[in-house]
Amino acid sequence: MSLSASIFLILSWVFIIGLMIFCFRRVFSKKEMD
Amino acid sequence: MGIIMAVAGSAIGLGNFLRFPGQVAQNGGGAFMIPYFIALLLLGIPLMWVEWSLGRYGGGFERGTAPGIFHSLTEKAKFIKYFGILGIFGPIVIFVYYIYIESWTLAYTWFALTGKYAQIPDAAGMGGVLDGLLGQTPGSSLSTVYVFFLITFLLNVVVIYFGIRGGIERLCNIALPILFVFGVALMVRVLTLSPSANPSWTVAKGLDYLWKPDFGALLHAKVWVAAAGQIFFTLSVGIGVILTYASYLKKGDDIVLSGLTSVSTNELAEVVLGGSIVIPAAFVFLGPDVLQTMKEGHQFGTFSLGFVTMPLVLNQIPWSAIFGFFWFFLLFLAGITSSVSLSQPAIAFMEDDFLISRRKAVTIFGIVTFVCVQPVIFLYGHGLLGELDFWGGNLFLILFGTIEIILFAWVFGMDRAWVEIHHGADMRVPAFYRYVLKYVTPVFLLCIMGFWIYQEGWDTLIMKDLKPADRPYILVTRVVLLLFFAVLAVLVAMASKRYKDRSASQEERT
Repeated sequence: MSLSASIFLILSWVFIIGLMIFCFRRVFSKKEMD
Repeated sequence: MGIIMAVAGSAIGLGNFLRFPGQVAQNGGGAFMIPYFIALLLLGIPLMWVEWSLGRYGGGFERGTAPGIFHSLTEKAKFIKYFGILGIFGPIVIFVYYIYIESWTLAYTWFALTGKYAQIPDAAGMGGVLDGLLGQTPGSSLSTVYVFFLITFLLNVVVIYFGIRGGIERLCNIALPILFVFGVALMVRVLTLSPSANPSWTVAKGLDYLWKPDFGALLHAKVWVAAAGQIFFTLSVGIGVILTYASYLKKGDDIVLSGLTSVSTNELAEVVLGGSIVIPAAFVFLGPDVLQTMKEGHQFGTFSLGFVTMPLVLNQIPWSAIFGFFWFFLLFLAGITSSVSLSQPAIAFMEDDFLISRRKAVTIFGIVTFVCVQPVIFLYGHGLLGELDFWGGNLFLILFGTIEIILFAWVFGMDRAWVEIHHGADMRVPAFYRYVLKYVTPVFLLCIMGFWIYQEGWDTLIMKDLKPADRPYILVTRVVLLLFFAVLAVLVAMASKRYKDRSASQEERT
């Protein structure tokens, strides 16, 4: 696997998984407050 | 949480695990992924917020479909309700072919249990199973797929009729987590596959094919249209479905967080799971040449690739029959949650604007779509499914998304729009998205449309790339689509009488 492909893959996955963790943490903390 | 799961259930479906890999293969792998992510950031996420806001705003006027919602945006230009026709027309077009593909997943659920594909070692044989199911091989009949289609169709009608909110949400709450667990298990199996047909066809090269950036492809409007179309299709934006769902929301619901959460859930299913299963597996079993011929449009339709490669992957794991059964059945459930949501704008249009009872609305929707699916099934070999997917799953979505963003940011006004998005939201949308919504997204969409018309429009119109034998069928399909659109325009004109009545009664109340 080439370096550019590896970087693109890792950046994409980190972005998506990070966004998901960020959103669900907020959703669940909001649910607890409610 | 329930509405997030319902929208995620609508978004996560066949688009993630079947359409996305097919689009990637047809548009050159890494060449597709850069426009895809740009479209996600500049089109998908902003339009998700726009649709949630528009839907909730229209819901305040007791309007649940695009024509009524657009009508409520301004008193000055009443013709804008006609732009909303696409918000009913588009989902019906998608429903018509989507439900047929959904029935393939049910057929493959059965095939997994009965061992129909268990002994087949290569892609050619697996392609034969799919072609045989679809009546494309000499001597094959459509009886099997038709039975599964009838079961699928009836099940959809039952869910639409009985279990709209509680049913869909409950289904999503169970099916989505299990789908994710199976997706992860299959991803691990695919990433540990050894080359079988050819020693140089490795998983690493498959991932390289998907992720190696190709900046040269950025000059082709077709790739941008495909990437934007996939973003719209996969997030269910530009369709009209989210407008209807969001019309049930309360003013204080947090749409900023809900929209972003459903986007991230969908992208995890699509890019992380969908992208790591079918494409690397297709590379290992089929090799780069087949993916190249897909790019040139000679082999496998957009949705077919998953039906050829997934059984090959499933054959490589222990208890493949059980895994295969669960995988295709869960795809089927994910498909149902999406197809049921596609019916909602048309059903809501009949219920809200013509005061037709739910039972009658579902019956009318069922009869119309049942008739429309028949040519897709019986004339599959002439490319009707691909044609409907191109218009319904690509261009109409982009066109409708363009209309929505212009109406929201320019006609409704950016100041009001910004306030509307943030009603009930704990989280602020980053300030630069104000400029993205007002300038970047509309200009981006208009450029994609403009360049596509310039580069491909005429060739598409004259059916240049189609086989001569298929052209009459495609031409008739286009004429029928136009007539159907015209009928909806007449219905919207009739419905607008009720918009006036409701506006008047609302004024009286205030």
